[in-house]
Amino acid sequence: MLSRTAENLYWISRYMERAETTARLIDVGYRMSLFPNPNGHNNEWESVLAAAGAIVGYKEKYDTINQVNVEDYLFFDEDNPSSIYNCILNARKNALIVRTSFTSESWLAINKAYQEILKLKENKFVTADLPNLTEWTIEQVNLFRGSIGSLLRNDGYNFLFLGLFIERADNSARLLDVKYFVLLPKPKYVGGSLDNVQWSILLRSLSSFRAFRWAYDGNVTATKIADFLVLNRDCSRSLSFCIQNIVDHLINLKCSPLKVDKIYQTIKDLNASIQQEKIEAIIDYGLHEFVSQFIKKISSVDSDIQKEFFY
Amino acid sequence: MFNEMYQSNSEIRNQYNHINSWLKNMSSQIISQKNEEAETHFRNIGITFSTNSETIRERLIPFDLIPRIFTNTEWSKLEKGVIQRSKALNAFLSDIYNQGEIIKANIVPKETVYKKISFEPSMIGFSPPREIYSPIIGVDLIRTDTDKYYVLEDNCRTPSGVSYMLENREIMMRMFPDLFLQNRVLPIDDYPTRLLQTLMSLAPIKCENSEPVVVLLTPGPLNSAYYEHSFLSDQMGIEMVESSDLFVEGKYLYMKTVDGPKRIDVVYRRIDDEYLDPLCFNSQSIIGVAGIMDVYRTGGVNICSAPGSGIADDKAIYIYVPEMIKFYLGEQPILDNVETWNCEKKDHLKYVIDNISNLVIKEVDGSGGYGMLIGPKSSTVEIEEFKNKLIHNSNGYIAQPLLDLSFSPTLIKNQVEGRRVDLRPFCLMGKEAQLNSGGLTRVAMNEGSFVVNSSQGGGVKDTWILAE
Repeated sequence: MLSRTAENLYWISRYMERAETTARLIDVGYRMSLFPNPNGHNNEWESVLAAAGAIVGYKEKYDTINQVNVEDYLFFDEDNPSSIYNCILNARKNALIVRTSFTSESWLAINKAYQEILKLKENKFVTADLPNLTEWTIEQVNLFRGSIGSLLRNDGYNFLFLGLFIERADNSARLLDVKYFVLLPKPKYVGGSLDNVQWSILLRSLSSFRAFRWAYDGNVTATKIADFLVLNRDCSRSLSFCIQNIVDHLINLKCSPLKVDKIYQTIKDLNASIQQEKIEAIIDYGLHEFVSQFIKKISSVDSDIQKEFFY
Repeated sequence: MFNEMYQSNSEIRNQYNHINSWLKNMSSQIISQKNEEAETHFRNIGITFSTNSETIRERLIPFDLIPRIFTNTEWSKLEKGVIQRSKALNAFLSDIYNQGEIIKANIVPKETVYKKISFEPSMIGFSPPREIYSPIIGVDLIRTDTDKYYVLEDNCRTPSGVSYMLENREIMMRMFPDLFLQNRVLPIDDYPTRLLQTLMSLAPIKCENSEPVVVLLTPGPLNSAYYEHSFLSDQMGIEMVESSDLFVEGKYLYMKTVDGPKRIDVVYRRIDDEYLDPLCFNSQSIIGVAGIMDVYRTGGVNICSAPGSGIADDKAIYIYVPEMIKFYLGEQPILDNVETWNCEKKDHLKYVIDNISNLVIKEVDGSGGYGMLIGPKSSTVEIEEFKNKLIHNSNGYIAQPLLDLSFSPTLIKNQVEGRRVDLRPFCLMGKEAQLNSGGLTRVAMNEGSFVVNSSQGGGVKDTWILAE
């Protein structure tokens, strides 16, 4: 497989994953805007921007934070590198180059999404359409993910999934980091149920709202949520799940065993430690500190993969 | 005037009987619906014309639902003719880069060959594997009567359009399966396999693989034929590479893969000669591979088509193709050339200027239907302008009579109307010479127009060759 092909595949799934994260964030913001908020209506939009890592870019463009602008910025804005529009555009740009290395269904999924988002962008959207737009985005991403199921289980497949889980690990960690105050102060200080609205934001933005209820009985506590999102191996968005998948797809690579091993050595300790970790210990240590270190580690794995395999 | 579907007594030709009743049963509403379906399909698979800017919607080539049909008898003549021509063109290339017999025999003047920019001096004395310079030749044909075909031009470099031929068939089979049950249409979908076999049969001397490694070299996604590049490499199951994926080391060509460097045997290049190797040709090229010509000349890799193949489809060389067929093959040409005046020659130039309003004038190096004058359809001002050009740059032009291209029934605003068509079949030359049982039919969508080029509003049709 061409190095450039591996790189394109890696980025296609990163961009598609990012599109989904952005869509979920918009959805959360939209839901929040429909609830009465004691701190003023625009508060949540600011935290959505922060979670999307888009607050600096947004403020360069707009003076005030309001729903219409935030939605537009996150969905369609060409200047926002993480807007859904740009994610799909970039996924397609990469897909155009590697059409030959994945199935025609996968190409179709991405190209249809691209054709449709061009039309959506042309038609001035109205706020009431927003749930449809985010739903549409998630649907596109799911179509793409479904289509890659029929790929050959070769290195291309593993590079696609490496991209997906690197992106997801990073997205989940950043969301946790932006929202970690929801889970603080320490559980013993709060001692009981959390603010319903706050934790639902976090879970919804990680597409884990209902999954959480299934996974844990009883009261919703900060400890349980943190455990779910950081350590739970059954949760497909948890940090632990992501890192395990990165390791799996890395060691499944058939090419260059030496390079694979080199990267594996840098990540195996993180994977082992996160398996044995107890959530109470992490909270005592500081969730923010833990997550920051995790983000750093993931980013160094990312740059190792790029350096070793993509030249 | 020849019509592909109707005889002169306006009866339907046999091969169009099914199509005729199918057309009659199709309501305007169905036609619109099918047209829309085809358009959506073409957009979804991304078979678009130009990808210059991803924010501007890419252009589609208009697709006409009514197929163009050849009987087996009609086709076998074309098949023999095109293969004959392709053999002669390759023999010509081999000759002019080596002994130059055809020049010594005073059949082709030496200045017509050696002074051309498309003649590539770095190829002198070198013979590619099997002496095949141009393994894929697209011959543009027009029809003026039941049994009368003319070759309009040959394409020996990297003829494009084959992906349209294949996709047109795909969409027709998808939308109108019944038509294929009624008519015995020869399949064309083995073209990519045959192309790969052809390329593999042209491995260089130093190739050590029993199955040579073939790649397709593309200039990149901004090229207007990019869809075709990715389509063909996909169908052949070979890597589509850009120059940045390749490098030369120790007399071999490699591509960068996740496993490390991998040696390449055959490059099916879809970039022009000029950009192939900055060390040999245009030093400013950023889409070429430094040193590839050195590897090529020492038998480390084969480049298809060979650099310098373009001389064979030069419009001034075209005139001599019938002579080439006699000279190299000892055969009579099966397909005719269009009578052509070469403005280089004084007597020809005089004739052209005297009869300009009845002629088509073409630039020797022009393509895409640009830079030409259609005498009978031009104003006096345009004609005077062209006369001036001819006098000042007589070497740059040829002239031909305006031929009455055949009409094919075409759906215009859901009504059947006659539109002019041409045909480009694709000939493969490797271990054996073969013609695909089909081709690309291009149609001039504008009423009365003679220009079928997609850059000027031309469309395409599925092309059927019926089994015996």
